Amino acid sequence: MAAHVPGVLGAFLHVDAACDAIRELKASGHADLTVYTAAPNHEIEEAIGDPISPLRWFTLLGGLLGCASGFGLTIWMSRDWPLLVGGKPIAAIPPYVVIGFELTILFGSLASVAAIFILSARKSLKGRPYAPRFSDDQIGIFVPCGPDRADQVQAMLEKHGPVEVTRDA
Amino acid sequence: MTMRPDDQQMTEAAPDGVGRRQFLKVLGVTGAGAATLSGCSTDRIAKLVPYMVQSEQQVPGVPTTYASTCAECSTGCGLHVTTREARAIKLEGNPAHPVNAGSLCSRGQAGLQALYHPDRIGAPMARNAAGGFDEITWDDAIARLAAQLGTANGRVAAINGYGPSTFSTLLDDMVGALGGRSVRWEAFGREAERTANFRTWGRYELPSHDFAAADYLVSFGADFLETWGATVQQQRGFAEAHGYGNGTMAKHVYVGPRMNLTAANADEWLDVPAGTEIWVALCLARAAAMHHGSPLAAQLAAYTPEAAAERTGIPAERLAHVAEEFAAASAPLAVAGGIAAQHRGAIDLCRATNLANIAAGSIGTTVRFGDGPAAGNDYGTVQELFQSMDRGEVAVILVHEANPLYALPKSGNFAATFAKVGFKVSTANVMDETAAACDLILPNLHALERWDDRAPRPGVLGLMQPVMEPVKPGMHTGDVLLAAARAVGGPLAGFTAQSFEAHLRSAWTAEASRRGAGDAEGFWRDALQRGGVYEPAAPAPAPALSAGAADLAPGDTSFDGDGEFLFLPYPTSQYHDGRGSNKPWLLENPDPVTKITWQSWVELHPETAKRVDVREGEIVEVTSPHGTVRAQVYVYPGIRPDTVGMPLGLGHTAYGRYAADRGVNALDLLGAADGQGFLPYVATRVSLTKTRDYRQVAKTEGTPRQLGRGIIEAMPLAHAAAGMTPKESMTAAGHPPHEVNTERELEAIDGWYEAQKERWNLGNYGADETPKWGMAVDLSRCTGCSACVTACYAENNIATVGEEQVFKGREMSWMRIERYWEGGEDGEPLEARFAPVMCQHCDNAPCEPVCPVYASYHTPDGLNGQVYNRCVGTRYCSNNCPFKVRYYNWLKYNESAWPEPLNLQLNPEVTVRARGVMEKCTFCVQRIRAAQHTARLEDRPLRDGDVVTACQQACPSKAIAFGNVKDPSAEVVRWKRDPRGYTMLEATNVMPAVTYLAKVRAVDPVAHGEAPAAGEAH
Amino acid sequence: MAVIAHDPSRPTQTHAEVTRDVLKTITDAPTRGYYVLVFGMAFLVLVLLGTVVAELKEGIGLAGYAPPIMWSVYITTFVFWVGIGHAGTLISAILFLFRSPWRTAVYRATEAMTVFAVMTAALFPILHIGREWLFYWLLPYPNQRYLWPNFKSPLMWDVFAISTYLTVSSTFLMVGLVPDLAAVRDNVSGWKKKLYTALSLGWTGADSQWRHYTRAYLYLAALATPLVLSVHSVVSWDFASSIVPGWHGTIFAPYFVAGAIYSGIGMVLTLMIPLRKVLKVEHMITDYHFDNLSKLTLLTGSILFYAYGMEYFVAWYSGSTFEQTTFWRRAFGPNWWAGWTMIICNAFVSQLLWFRKIRTNLTSLFVISIFINLGMWFERYVIVVSSLANDYLPYAWGQLNPTWADWCLLAGSFGWFGLWFTMFYKNFPIVAIQEIKEMIPMPRRKSAEGAH
Repeated sequence: MAAHVPGVLGAFLHVDAACDAIRELKASGHADLTVYTAAPNHEIEEAIGDPISPLRWFTLLGGLLGCASGFGLTIWMSRDWPLLVGGKPIAAIPPYVVIGFELTILFGSLASVAAIFILSARKSLKGRPYAPRFSDDQIGIFVPCGPDRADQVQAMLEKHGPVEVTRDA
Repeated sequence: MTMRPDDQQMTEAAPDGVGRRQFLKVLGVTGAGAATLSGCSTDRIAKLVPYMVQSEQQVPGVPTTYASTCAECSTGCGLHVTTREARAIKLEGNPAHPVNAGSLCSRGQAGLQALYHPDRIGAPMARNAAGGFDEITWDDAIARLAAQLGTANGRVAAINGYGPSTFSTLLDDMVGALGGRSVRWEAFGREAERTANFRTWGRYELPSHDFAAADYLVSFGADFLETWGATVQQQRGFAEAHGYGNGTMAKHVYVGPRMNLTAANADEWLDVPAGTEIWVALCLARAAAMHHGSPLAAQLAAYTPEAAAERTGIPAERLAHVAEEFAAASAPLAVAGGIAAQHRGAIDLCRATNLANIAAGSIGTTVRFGDGPAAGNDYGTVQELFQSMDRGEVAVILVHEANPLYALPKSGNFAATFAKVGFKVSTANVMDETAAACDLILPNLHALERWDDRAPRPGVLGLMQPVMEPVKPGMHTGDVLLAAARAVGGPLAGFTAQSFEAHLRSAWTAEASRRGAGDAEGFWRDALQRGGVYEPAAPAPAPALSAGAADLAPGDTSFDGDGEFLFLPYPTSQYHDGRGSNKPWLLENPDPVTKITWQSWVELHPETAKRVDVREGEIVEVTSPHGTVRAQVYVYPGIRPDTVGMPLGLGHTAYGRYAADRGVNALDLLGAADGQGFLPYVATRVSLTKTRDYRQVAKTEGTPRQLGRGIIEAMPLAHAAAGMTPKESMTAAGHPPHEVNTERELEAIDGWYEAQKERWNLGNYGADETPKWGMAVDLSRCTGCSACVTACYAENNIATVGEEQVFKGREMSWMRIERYWEGGEDGEPLEARFAPVMCQHCDNAPCEPVCPVYASYHTPDGLNGQVYNRCVGTRYCSNNCPFKVRYYNWLKYNESAWPEPLNLQLNPEVTVRARGVMEKCTFCVQRIRAAQHTARLEDRPLRDGDVVTACQQACPSKAIAFGNVKDPSAEVVRWKRDPRGYTMLEATNVMPAVTYLAKVRAVDPVAHGEAPAAGEAH
Repeated sequence: MAVIAHDPSRPTQTHAEVTRDVLKTITDAPTRGYYVLVFGMAFLVLVLLGTVVAELKEGIGLAGYAPPIMWSVYITTFVFWVGIGHAGTLISAILFLFRSPWRTAVYRATEAMTVFAVMTAALFPILHIGREWLFYWLLPYPNQRYLWPNFKSPLMWDVFAISTYLTVSSTFLMVGLVPDLAAVRDNVSGWKKKLYTALSLGWTGADSQWRHYTRAYLYLAALATPLVLSVHSVVSWDFASSIVPGWHGTIFAPYFVAGAIYSGIGMVLTLMIPLRKVLKVEHMITDYHFDNLSKLTLLTGSILFYAYGMEYFVAWYSGSTFEQTTFWRRAFGPNWWAGWTMIICNAFVSQLLWFRKIRTNLTSLFVISIFINLGMWFERYVIVVSSLANDYLPYAWGQLNPTWADWCLLAGSFGWFGLWFTMFYKNFPIVAIQEIKEMIPMPRRKSAEGAH
């Protein structure tokens, strides 16, 4: 466990309440929130207001790379060992489309999955508190802050009727 | 690589008894003969010395060829024996030999499997008290023989099936000297013909028939393409005469109750009941006599077509038509006397046939006396011998190259009689029925291991020489006899030769002086190199007609029993009289007509089968007054509804692992007693009893009909002469065209083909100087005899898979003869068509692109290559092959097919394929490469004819041409240009490298449904 | 729980209930029946292994191959399982893109089925070749001899299509699993907690994770969709790109894809109908879902009906005697029984689903699904065997008699598949927790006050 991050953790049952809390925190300059939900939720996404994930570029590049290597592989290998079969050209494009296509899909998919890890890792969650109920039915909002602002944050959360607010400084 | 173990099995075959180093050593010291055709000695080398001095003749990796003579039947064809590292690996015909002129039948080629038979007897054996056999030493064996001969005081006899030869003379002389009798006997002795000839001309001998010169052939049950006479020579002649060329061809009519291979190659088949052929023969004789104004005309006046029609059931007008054609022919030839017509009327039939030939003026032209095949004693003599055994007049009998206890009907109790002989000696080197009943077995050397000769006919003196060390330590029967003679002394004191080789040499020295050859040594050396001495026999004067030659009173032929069906046992080209049925090649190479392997069967006409209510494979019980056999039904359109056919040659009780207890022996249904001097094979009536049992028929055919796919095209002579293509002929005959491309499609294909060519990075399969191999098959010459198939098995190490695998259609025959039926329904005459089908080496081979690992690809010289080591066995190539000529190693056939020492026969030039890989015809690529290397060494371009594929080499009718299709002067190109040429399955656009020349039939269109009015004339 | 049926797209009321109900399927101790099932499947796997060993020893000829029928039961079974493997990704990917709500409850199970079916199918191309130990020669791996595979061969397309499909569909399954595994992690203890902690890859459901996860899932679905359609097209080209009469047809790709989905959903029904009872999730996987599945079956079944008809029409219309003979013999030749089994089970039985009563009666649906599986196996048998049995040269025609080796491998394949599936559904959430939660509106303060 890495360095413990001090802050206030609020657990909400009601989505609208959680959203209000998030907006208020953001407005008061708490940019670095961590919101735990059991399932993706659009209201919360809007409340947090992060820009759309750049993951699509990974997918695109993976796909293009796959397509290129598909055709490259087949054409190069046929020319490297040129054998005549059935009176067909040594490097026949139509049959190679299949390989090109399959590799496009393969590389694209693997790139997307890899991207999840890469991109998520950019924001470390190490040392931030987490509670099992967040994977069940509650929304967790963790606000990293020093003891000096903790009271203010706690008040801000409690105003919106959380199930519970814990300070852990 | 996974193939390596097999490579080793292939090249390093070293069974007990014959190590390769011993081979090599032997050849190291062998000095005689020229480089390619040389003599050799079998002196065993006691001490093994490393191969330090290279023998001039024996370059490892380079085959050495010896000339010899075939001993598989009495015809005595010439052989070229190819040996590698001193083991015989292939038998081919001797081109210099007048009888077979370079080609060889299946049985002759399979002689190798007799040489290397896994059940060959390795040592002399004597019967012990327990009734079994003990191995003994040769000295002991000879001592025992000598003792018996010494004490037999004259009560000695010999049955010798080897035919005229120095050996037979020696045997006769010795037996004679002992005061005994020696009988020369072969199962199919053609006695009826000889008797007939005696009654016609007073000459108890056989003439020779010139098939090549004939322009009209009529056969009365004489299967001259299978077992009757010198089949290879006759087939060559038949192909010459009957094959289409320069707008003409001979016509062939077959008269008999069953369509055998000979009938299947006839233009007309008169399916008369057994025993009535004579009426047709006399009808022909009459017509010929009238046409040529022969004095016989008066005596034959009564035998009108109407009379014949009444007896035979063939329409009179059809008979008249044939008779007129025969009479009008310029070189007609009528033959009779095959087993298929060997009924009680056989002698009269042969006499009538003689009359037909006489009336037609064929004597001296197509029928010649003087150089006919030599023949031994007749069946009557054998019967007498057995009677004297029965009377206890024989104390010692020696059986050589004969198997009477199998080849004679059981009903004659020959076995029991034979047992009465005190001391029975056999020289068989495989335990056959007769050997099993003997007291002493002196295994003879195989013909390829011994010094010997034979004179099958005047003008032909064939020589045999040992081409390799004996596979099993046998001893030459000649040496055994001479040794025994020395031991006996007394009456045999005259036989002083130290060895049979010496005896043979002296006999040949005598022959040399008889022929006025000054230098006997040179005479011998030349004979050794050429395989014998061949001089045309002195032409005999035309024989004079003996009195009453034409006095014939043909009545009804009599048959034993009152069964519902006439019983027709017939010999097949593979098993002959049964001697062939212990060789896997002959067992698995299907019967050319029925396409059945490894089995006996009972032939029923479809109508009969329906009436008796049996289906193919149902086992029926066939009962005659003399016995009963059970075998599965094969429904066969080529046999009369009132006749039941069965093949001869199977049903051995001994004779090695492949023959013993396989199938049934049709002879069990025959009677033995007969006063006519021959065994009447077609002389019983049988009844059928259904059993509930079933046994799949192990046949290699799927569906015997072409379904209008134009696989084997045929056209009437008129169309061929008019230079029509098969397609034009079809249209002219008013038939719809086959599954072929329309003109517009063809244009499109041609355009596409050209476009493709340019894009092929290797051009049209290689640069212009690279050859492009192609083949052409003339279906008007091919008779379907299947010699090519056996040759392919021998050349390419093809595994035989056995009956169980054939049930699943897993036979490996790279080359197969497809046989389709045409007609035979609603009055149309039945017609058989044959075509050899091997890999077609297509330009656009569909098998190639589908192989994921490039195991199947195209070589620059246009071959469809198959890389065994690379093959992983997806089998997609076979699925995509429209000709289904790819064969797959489903199981470890390479381990089961060649029990030692059979593996010694394997061709070192060809890989033995492992389990799990695909294989197929390679156009004998090893022969192509060998020829190319030779040309390269001789620094000359490859000439047309340098490359001869195994099938082409073996083909007796020369129906196959092979060569470089880029060479405009090549024979194959000339053939391919023939308008009759077509490729199979044109619609698939695979562009095969094999062109077939359509079969041509010398039939008048009306009778054979070529005209729109099909069938009405019949 | 009857109240749930009112809003079928929302099987359960609250997130807590979802977590509870789904976790029960994992945390409840396995019954005796479960062990019987597992051991039964394991036994079949042993049968499979035994057969494979025998064939490695003696050769592939132990099976009933009878040339010209060079492919038979093994390839039939291969295509059968590949086909099964199509419903999963279809439901999880395509229906995801179409935002059809009913997929959520069933997609996890079908996706697992897909992965295991493809794993089963992938065995056969290896087991059917004559030299199994050299199958890797089909892979383009660098080697000293500079030998490469032949990419013109449809079998190479297969290698790439199948392996890609296996990779992508299993990736898709695992990605979907991660948040659910986190939920499991938070509700178990002991070694299981360690296990699921490892499997859930540190998932916490933080906004920074969801943000990329949801996009990735979307793109995976977008990529998987054309893949599903391509894989069975490629498999169909194994046949269509040959010149064998009965294989050489342009209709094959769509015809095979429809057939694949049809058979896949057939298998889904066969599996889910009993499973929802065993796992007591009837309130999540409801008639509503089966009704939709049935409609999909009806659609694809009808496409098959059309394809069968069209095959015969084209064979007749082509005027090619080869095609005509092949199709004539399909219906009236020695394999007529297989031909009619396929037509009746697929074309006709599926038409029963026009009736709502049959669609919603699970018993009848189950029976129908069995017929679908049977029919689709025979469809492949007919296409593979009866086409090869009679192609161009009648002399070379043959007839197949499968042997014990064929049947053992077929039975073994079901064991192999079943073993994986039974293991899966008892240890992993068979219903997608987070996706169902996503569809259930989270409580709001107002409604909460109203409730008080």
